[in-house]
Amino acid sequence: MTMTWSGHLLHIHIAPSASVEMEELAQARLIAGRGIEGDRYLLGTGTYSAKPDIREVTLIEVEVLEALEQGEPKVPGLATRLEPIDHRRNLTTRGVPLNHLVGRRFRVGEVVLKGGRMNFPCKYLEELLGVPGLYEGLLNRSGLNCSIEVGGVIRPGDPIVPLAD
Amino acid sequence: MSPRLIMKLEVAQVRPEAGDVLLVALRHPRRPLLPAATAGAHVDVHLPDGRVRQYSLLGDPADRRTYRIAVKREAGGRGGSRWLHDNLAAGATLMVSAPRNHFELSAAAGRCLLLAGGIGITPLLAMAHALAAAGRDFRLHVFARGRAGAPLLGEAEAFGPDRVVAHFDDPPGTRLALEALLREPEPGTEIYCCGPAGFMDAVREAASGWPDEAVRFEAFQPLHADGFVPEPFDIVLRSTGATLRVPAGRAAIDLLREAGIDVPSSCEIGVCGACVCGYLAGSPIHRDVVLSPRARRDRFIPCVSRAVGALRLDL
Repeated sequence: MTMTWSGHLLHIHIAPSASVEMEELAQARLIAGRGIEGDRYLLGTGTYSAKPDIREVTLIEVEVLEALEQGEPKVPGLATRLEPIDHRRNLTTRGVPLNHLVGRRFRVGEVVLKGGRMNFPCKYLEELLGVPGLYEGLLNRSGLNCSIEVGGVIRPGDPIVPLAD
Repeated sequence: MSPRLIMKLEVAQVRPEAGDVLLVALRHPRRPLLPAATAGAHVDVHLPDGRVRQYSLLGDPADRRTYRIAVKREAGGRGGSRWLHDNLAAGATLMVSAPRNHFELSAAAGRCLLLAGGIGITPLLAMAHALAAAGRDFRLHVFARGRAGAPLLGEAEAFGPDRVVAHFDDPPGTRLALEALLREPEPGTEIYCCGPAGFMDAVREAASGWPDEAVRFEAFQPLHADGFVPEPFDIVLRSTGATLRVPAGRAAIDLLREAGIDVPSSCEIGVCGACVCGYLAGSPIHRDVVLSPRARRDRFIPCVSRAVGALRLDL
């Protein structure tokens, strides 16, 4: 099946270890099969590092953050502003259908990623940020955990495009 | 213990205080407001070598631009306070957690007696700010050997002579002063106490005639129970009344699964909260890092937490 979308990279964030506030990068080096230079899941210091999984790089759609801020009309008070620096995923994207990319390869600038599994939200993030309802708000749209097939340097603004299987 | 965001804060100001204390003001380099704290809260300070030290926030909780802590140099301590004294200067950065509070003011509207021993004045100053702002009646009693060695006395005295009493005594004199102060339990009054162990013991003794719930102490809990040795315990199921024996080397969630109970789970290291369930009776040993102190009263994380004796689960 051919996919026809195209999107781009908005933000890159990393943190040196579990629970430490994320910091934004103007560029990042991704290392194939390992992770992002300086990030907790490359260093083995992440909250979930003790549990092996595909987590070399994590992505989330800015469209999800916008939907969270919009809230759910039928559940007043659920609107939540989640800044890109707070969601603890590495890459914030626009125009990329992440839920459709499990098992698929796609390009971010010069880097090639492969969708591993849909990210599952955790109470840990909700507790960490003190935002009640965030866990439910992110169900089924919490982003994508990926492996890195081809490493390289990426920057905000880089195009994100699907690759043929 | 629930997780807290660790922030790289900037030292806005340091000032030496009486009693070999360094007063430190911290700000966030990028965000105008810090995570909110209630009076009595503390932060975890993460030292570069990985050690963690807890310090009460002493400033007005309404001021969210700055966290203020006071670090007493502990000559015989483990070196954390010495490192902070030697390395903190304006412009330095320090890894600091968002605040947590095990020493909350109660919601009751009664009078508060704040009893401060030495550097233990820090959370009580934050309480004095909160009580003053709420228009509540309080007295802050400051105990020290002498004026010259009493940290933050000037800040305390700014609340006015009607609200602040300083006591300069040696330990036997402090004991007598506390006995005189607490001889008669006052219905509706609550005592909040923080200070060195000997001081808190003296308060406990002097307040022995007071109801337990009216006397509260700040007691820092270890972040990680080192050397924890798991022991077998029993789970009793509400639905069937069945008892499951959890051996020392296995997790409660495994036994639940074997009994055919479908418990959702994800991380299985006590951080994600997916396997949370309720408990109805028993003495859990909470070993997760996700439940809040409040949730721990009736919730249980079976992938890592254990219990003493039999724990009745709402399953």
